[in-house]
This record gives sequence, C-alpha cells and structure tokens, in this order.
Amino acid sequence: MKRYLFAAALICAPVAAAADPSVSDIIDGHILPRFDALASTSQDLAQTAQQDCDPTSTDLRAAYGAAFDAWISASHLRFGPTEVDDRAFALAFWPDSRGATPRSLATLIADQDPIAANVETYSDVSIAARGFYALEFLLYDATLMQEGTSDYHCTLVRTVAGDIAATATAIYDDWTGGHADVLLSPGPTATYRSEEEVLQEMLRALTAGLQFTSDSRLGRPLGTFDRPRPKRAEAWRSGRSASDVKLSLESLQDLASRLAVTDPQVAEQLTREFNDALDKLEAVNDPVFASVAKPQSRLKIEVVQQAVDTIRTTVQTELGPTLGVAAGFNSLDGD
Amino acid sequence: MKRYLLSTAVALGLAAPALAVETTDVLDTYADIAAANYGDSLITAQRLQTSITALVTNPSAETLTAARAAWLAARVPYQQTEVFRFGNAIVDDWEGKVNAWPLDEGLIDYVDASYGGPSDENEFAALNVIANPTFTLSGTEIDATTITPALLEETLQEADGVEANVATGYHAIEFLLWGQDLNGHGTGAGDRPWTDYATEEACTNGNCDRRGQYLTAATELLISDLKYMAEAWADDGAARTALMEDSDAGISAILTGMGSLSYGETAGERMRLGVMLNDPEEEHSCFADNTHNDHYYNGVGIQNVYLGAYVRTDGTLVSGASLSDLVAEQDTALDTEMQSKLSAAVMALSRIKHAAEAGFAYDQMLERGNAAGEALIMDGVNGLIDQTRSIERVITVLGVDGSAIEGSDSLDDPDAVFQ
Repeated sequence: MKRYLFAAALICAPVAAAADPSVSDIIDGHILPRFDALASTSQDLAQTAQQDCDPTSTDLRAAYGAAFDAWISASHLRFGPTEVDDRAFALAFWPDSRGATPRSLATLIADQDPIAANVETYSDVSIAARGFYALEFLLYDATLMQEGTSDYHCTLVRTVAGDIAATATAIYDDWTGGHADVLLSPGPTATYRSEEEVLQEMLRALTAGLQFTSDSRLGRPLGTFDRPRPKRAEAWRSGRSASDVKLSLESLQDLASRLAVTDPQVAEQLTREFNDALDKLEAVNDPVFASVAKPQSRLKIEVVQQAVDTIRTTVQTELGPTLGVAAGFNSLDGD
Repeated sequence: MKRYLLSTAVALGLAAPALAVETTDVLDTYADIAAANYGDSLITAQRLQTSITALVTNPSAETLTAARAAWLAARVPYQQTEVFRFGNAIVDDWEGKVNAWPLDEGLIDYVDASYGGPSDENEFAALNVIANPTFTLSGTEIDATTITPALLEETLQEADGVEANVATGYHAIEFLLWGQDLNGHGTGAGDRPWTDYATEEACTNGNCDRRGQYLTAATELLISDLKYMAEAWADDGAARTALMEDSDAGISAILTGMGSLSYGETAGERMRLGVMLNDPEEEHSCFADNTHNDHYYNGVGIQNVYLGAYVRTDGTLVSGASLSDLVAEQDTALDTEMQSKLSAAVMALSRIKHAAEAGFAYDQMLERGNAAGEALIMDGVNGLIDQTRSIERVITVLGVDGSAIEGSDSLDDPDAVFQ
C-alpha cells in the first residue's frame, strides 16, 4: 500500500516527490573518510615495512592489520577511482580459487625476479602477487614467510607494501581531485545522466558489498554441509575472517542508513536487520570460521549468512523502490 | 514500479497509448533465435561426433585435424547462445554440463610435471581417470573400468563439489583433442599427438583405448545435452513456455542475460581477470587457443538478441520484432545509443580476433608487460562495460520490474527471475 501511494504521489505531483538522499552527504560522510583512512594507513604500512621487514615483527603486522581493516571498510566502493588501472584488483585479489597468489609469489622468489626491486616496476606484476592478500602470504604463510633469501623476502615485503600505499594514495587523490564532482554533477553528456544514475551507483555498491560478504566471506568457508571448506575462509592465516565480515557489515550499514534517510520505516528496518546480523556474528565467536566443519557451530555461521541475505532482500525490495532505482548489474553477476 | 504506475494510471482513468510493437512478438523472436541457435549448436556437434568417431576408429594426423576443425566450427553457434544463460533459469542450471570452465584437466588425463598435483582447493586436480580404472572419491570406491557418459556426468563432473573438476562439455573435449598448451606466452596451442589415440605399440602416453572411450562418451553427452536445450526452445518447450508466462519478466530475462554476460561474465571473469593475472591459463579456450572467437561470438550473441536477428550456420536469417523496435518506440535516442554501443563492443572484440588470426594469440596478449595485447583486450572489456550501462538505461525506460533485474539472482535464486 505504501508503495502504491508513493507511485500515486509521483503521478499527481512529480515535483513534490520525497527529498532524495544527499549525494554530498554520502561523499563527505561515507566515501571520502574511508579512502582517506585507506591512504594514510597504507602509507604508514609502507613506512613501517621500511623500518622493519621481518614477517614476525609486531609493528609490521599491526600496521598491516590497520591498513587491511581500512580496505575492508572501503571495499564495496567499486566505482570511479578504484577502477582506474585495476587499482582495486591490485589491492585485493580474492577469492583465489586456483591458487594464483602463492604460485605467483613463489615464482618471483624462486627467480629472484628483479621486478620486485621497486614500486614503479612492480605495478606490471600479476595482481595475484600484489595487495593485501599477497602480503598476507608473505607475513603469515608458514612456507612463503620464510621462502627465499631474507634479503629478497625483505625487498618483496617492502615493495608490496609500497605498491599498496601508492595505489591507495592514487585512489584518494582522484577522489579529492575531481571525482567527487563527477558524482555531484550528473548531466546529459556526463558519466551519470541523472541523479537517479548516481543513486543507482550507490545502491549497486551496497548490493554488491552485501553479496560479496554473503557469497564469498561466509559462503566460501561454509561450502556444503557434507563438504565444509574452512581453508577457503578469507585471510584465515592472519585470523581476520570473522573480523572482515564485521567490518564490512558496519561499513555497509553506514551507507544503507544514508541511502534510507528519506524513509524512516525502511531505515528502521535496515538498522534492525544489520544489528541482528552483527549480533549473530558476535555469537559465532570463531575468528577464522574453522567451526564450519562441526554441525552445531556451523549452524551459527549459517544464520549469519541468512541474516545478511535478509538485508539483501530488504535493500532490493524496499530500499531500491524507495530510491526509485534498481541496483543494476554488478561485477559479481556471472559465474 | 512500472506495474504500480500502470495500475495507478488505470485508476485515474488515463488510457495507456496503444503500442505498435507487441511485447509477445519480441519474446517470440527471442525464443525463435534461441531455438535456431541451439539447433545449430546441435547440428555442428553432430558433425563433431562424426569426426571424433573417425578419429577413434581410424586414428591418424588427418582424422585428428578434422576433429579439431569440427570442434572449432561447433563453437561458433554455441558461443552466441551464451546470452540466453543468465535470466533463463532452465539454461543457467544446465550450462555447466556443456561449457564449464576453467578446468583442472589433470582430473581427466595425463598432464605435464609443471601442472603440479592435488591442491588445497582440489584434491582430485591430478586424478587422471584415463590412467586409473579404479580410484577412491570422497571415501567411495569408484569402478571406472568402462568410461561411460553416466560415469562422467554423475560421478566425475564437479567431483568432491569442486567446480574445477570439469569432466564433460566442450572444454573437456577440447583438452582431449589438443592437450595442454605448454608454450606459456609463446606461440602455439596444445599439441597432443594423434598417436594418443593409436592402437597397440603405436599408442603414446598410455591408455589410448580409454582415452578414445572418454572422448566418445563426452561427445555423446554433449549431443544429448544440446538436444535437450534445442527442444526446450521449440514450440511448447519448457524454456519458451517459462519465458512467455509473464511478458514483463520475459523482457527482463532478455536484458538480464545481455547485462550479466557483458559485464560480470565476459568483461570481468573471462577477460579482465586474465589481463590482470598475466596467466596464459586464464583464457577461455586455453588448449585450442580459440579464446578470441569465444569472446567475439559472445559479443555477437548479445547484439543478435537486441536486434532480433541471427544468421544460422546454413546462412538463413532468423529475424522478427526486436527489443530494439520496442526501445525505439519509447526513446529513439536510447535505441541509437544502445545500437552504437553494441556495434562498438563487437568491433573491439573483432580487433582481438583479427590480431589472433594473424598470429598474435590471446595467451601472448596476456603476457606481463605486453602493452599492445593489454590495450586490445581492455578495449573489448571497456566496450562491454560501456554497453552494460546502456542496457541499464533500457531497463529503466522499459520500466521492467526491478525485482527481476539483479542479474546474480539468475544464479542464486532462479525463481526470482520469474517473479
């Protein structure tokens, strides 16, 4: 009934339709702070690696964790500056179902490939050997953390960290150097033809972020009841799997609440559903989802996934119509 | 949203304008193209079967070459059908049997030492069923003394729940005809010797009879699977009936197929990822080096369904009322935009094809630091992404029900497409 009324309002008084969510609020309150944090924590990571490249270094691992956290919180914002020169892929290549990351790193190390000598040339390397997931192997994987001479390993750690910082900085610079204006100035010949298309981009980011957390961050380790796959959990080597789900949901909740601002009822429903998913995640109490293999504890992870899927449904059937846009196609469509 | 608007319009006594192009006619054309396109896939697969029978009964360099040529010809119609996948649940549920990719080919036959063995992701990556008449799979003893279609379909396909265990379909057959491409980023495709199918002493790499059995069984399955799908699109077939149930959902299914194949699947998974990984195995037909055609005919297939026209393998034209007509009626400028985007994408994909056919193979384009190759592929990727945005505008203009648009639902929740 509510939607019927909304549609009627559009027809009778199209100009007086409810105020749209503020794109500038989303840019200033959601997007820019996240890419700012990603750039500064990544620069800190690169500097820390220069001081201490030992994989077991507490400082290095802490700096790595902080920068990775910042990435997870920004990882759903896949448009504009993140898509130039494959930047987002170079920061985060995962899932890696064919083991390209360990294979690429092992090859570089075995060949003592000189391409690792500096950040500028390293951008030509396969994305599988770049970014946070590659660095995780270099810092935490039992084999790769001690593979090769310590000199080469150290160079590789520093270069991968420096490459992350360069990429993160480039993304932030593009956002502050003009891309925010692209979102704010839709027009007949612009990237976005109308404000609806801008909102569609935001909705797409929210939808794709939720889908990734459900299908990959939770779905991959869950596998099937008969064949659970704990080793497919995201970043289990560094113990981040559950924490990544938490960070992503918190960030997506922030975006959702900014998009739902014109419809208190939908906003309230989304708040309730996000809180429910986060509570259920808290109850799992298993940082790497190893418990997917045990029927009793597995159920707790399944209910988290269901809670995330409930949010997805609300976004698609309630929030989308409220905004008057559909989520469109995202890169996860396909196999 | 559209439906509410219409019902509101009716409630307010506003008459909807009469439409010259009937939605059901557009859906009819689409289903006719699907029927013809799967029919052509079946016909060319039957020719492939004839040549494979010749290879297995009379192994020689000539019969192997003829079988390879028949496989390449069979891919031309099939790759155009991929636009029917996403959006039509019946196709999506089925397609993994015929075109699953990428595959861990060591499941099927011998591989080079550089391939490695079982991996974290796949314990059976190097099972080699051709060399092993019996083996244990997830705790069950398997009798594979005779390699039958049932063994491939029911036991080996996606063994242990791993998608890379591809035992059936075009790419399994491709591997059995070409073998691994061990040239990396260098020139040349897979180079399996014809003697892999020879009898007695002439047999190379062992188990030639079992290899022939496997190839024969996989081809038989391909034929029966394609027959099923061609029938599903014939008059009163299940896929055609499902499409026609609700005309809005039908139009949405067409657009979902176009958008998902353009963006997530071809531009993303198959093209951009390969460039970024610089991995010669990240090409769709990595044994035969036919990837340039895979992508090109995907692009052509997307264009076919928008323009409502398909050229059959015998040269006849199937055409009728099209999505393009429907869009033009509402927004001529958008129809022009959509047509020009589709043409531009096909042009970009054809440039990859031209270079590949002249000797610059797709796996060479993927090499680290190969700027010309990267530019060629990325132009194709950008063309496909660009056309996806116009497809979204078409969805908006036609006011297709939003719940059916989220393309991934065609995989995760097939029913959603028909809501």
